[in-house]
Amino acid sequence: MRNTLAIARRELHAYFSSPIAYIMVGLFALLFGWMFYSFLSFFSEQSLRMSQFGMAGPQALNVNEMLIRPLLLQAGIIILIFVPTLTMRTFAEEKRSGTIELLLTSPLTDWEIVLGKFLGAVGLYAVMLLLSSLNLVWLFVYGDPELAPVVTGFVGLLLLGAGFIAIGLFLSNLTRNQIVAGLLTYAALLMLLLVSWVGESAGPVGKAIVSALSVFQHFEDFSKGVVDTQHVIYYLSVITFGLFLTARSVDADRWRG
Amino acid sequence: MIEVQQLTKRYGPFTAVDGVSFNVAKGEILGFLGPNGAGKTTTMRILTGYMPPTEGRARVAGFDLQDSPIEAKRRIGYLPETPPLYPDMTVRDYLLFVARIKGVPPGDQAGRVQTVMERTHVADMGRRHCGKLSKGYRQRVGLAQAIIHNPDVLVLDEPTAGLDPKQIIETRQLIRSLAGDHTIVLSTHILPEVSQTCQRVVIINKGRVVAEDTPDNLTARLQGAASVYVQVDAQGGDAQAVLAGIPGVTTVAVAEQQGPLTGYEVQSEAGRDIRRSVASALVGAGFGLVELRPMRMSLEEIFLQLTTSDVPEEVARA
Repeated sequence: MRNTLAIARRELHAYFSSPIAYIMVGLFALLFGWMFYSFLSFFSEQSLRMSQFGMAGPQALNVNEMLIRPLLLQAGIIILIFVPTLTMRTFAEEKRSGTIELLLTSPLTDWEIVLGKFLGAVGLYAVMLLLSSLNLVWLFVYGDPELAPVVTGFVGLLLLGAGFIAIGLFLSNLTRNQIVAGLLTYAALLMLLLVSWVGESAGPVGKAIVSALSVFQHFEDFSKGVVDTQHVIYYLSVITFGLFLTARSVDADRWRG
Repeated sequence: MIEVQQLTKRYGPFTAVDGVSFNVAKGEILGFLGPNGAGKTTTMRILTGYMPPTEGRARVAGFDLQDSPIEAKRRIGYLPETPPLYPDMTVRDYLLFVARIKGVPPGDQAGRVQTVMERTHVADMGRRHCGKLSKGYRQRVGLAQAIIHNPDVLVLDEPTAGLDPKQIIETRQLIRSLAGDHTIVLSTHILPEVSQTCQRVVIINKGRVVAEDTPDNLTARLQGAASVYVQVDAQGGDAQAVLAGIPGVTTVAVAEQQGPLTGYEVQSEAGRDIRRSVASALVGAGFGLVELRPMRMSLEEIFLQLTTSDVPEEVARA
């Protein structure tokens, strides 16, 4: 555990001692804020129109349904763009610079290395989410949305992103070139997104299978305020599978030399 | 301290290391000598647990690298060919990180970092980023990270490569000063390094051990018969016959001809010093003795002889 935390700490150090962390956190906050603003103005326009038709009252339009939920769903797609930039350097850079030799000749297990890198990336990602969530504080100051769907929505976003990160770690270990690692991760995550679109037109059975596998389908319930163990288990499986592949490929590299 | 048995590493059809065996005793400095591509780095990577061998075993401080890699790695410090530094970290932060992952107890970490920084003369660079260090300092920080957990065994892959002469001398002194507490294996393709720092040499070529001994023994053993170089102004006489007539001389060969001067290479039976009799015989015959010196084969020549099979012996000795 101490070893894992040492690695995680170094990962965070690497993010924050380069512009990466600041650009990522800043850009995500900007995009999230902009999406929040556009949903908010649409929402207030709608509520104004409703009140003109005499259907006033606080619950005429649900803030959670009309604003927070679509916002979090869109954020889920936005993070698809951010995660590859987060994970592409994790292993590829260590391989190129030779520092991987330090890690692999230290008294560490493969899992400690992989988990440490995973926690480091998830840590930065959590900072991104946390900072962006500040936007929603305004809704609680001026309105009265339900808290539970907001919290579960962010838990869902965290799990979704962590799953992406686990996949990104694996792909970063396949190459010593960061750009290649980043592009591979983009391709993989876009495939996951496209798969859920294909599912819409794949007939009842196909649709069931695809939506069971689709990363985004499982996210929907979280944004509704429902924490279904089925979905939690799904994301935990994606994370475990990604980390397992990463650990296996770290070990396989040893044999390849 | 280190036991290596029949180590073999194959990459597909290519055999990088082929049945290498050697032992290193506690406190000893072993030089691993060989031309580039001989399998030095591969052997060291196996020895440090970076990669497993295809066949064979390696034990460090009593721990088998394949059966108990974590225990073995705790006792090994390793400086790869390029020091494994993170350019974005300061020297102090970097060494603290290495101390953590090498299992130095939390309370001792800061103290160990200070100790090794002083020992490797990088104490004034603590706040400098690793990416901004000169080659010499990078190497020293690399050495500092290798000794941070006070390992029993130090494995150094070409520790002086790319340094300037002054830095090379400093690094060698540093390595020698570490020898008491640590068992050291260092690789190099620079020959003087071996005779100056190592107590024992393993010469490796094309993945195989071709010789193993102390630098002095290696020189003596490969020299075989002693030979003497004499330059004579024969003044028309036959110096070769005179030389051949000296008791103990086995062969006399003309080595060079410069105007009236002729150089001979005189070989004698092993262990017999013929220099005095050569001098008195030549002077007695009325020849001018211009030069007389023993011919010693340098480590360089031995190395060439052992590692270049396609070069004839005469050329290798010249």
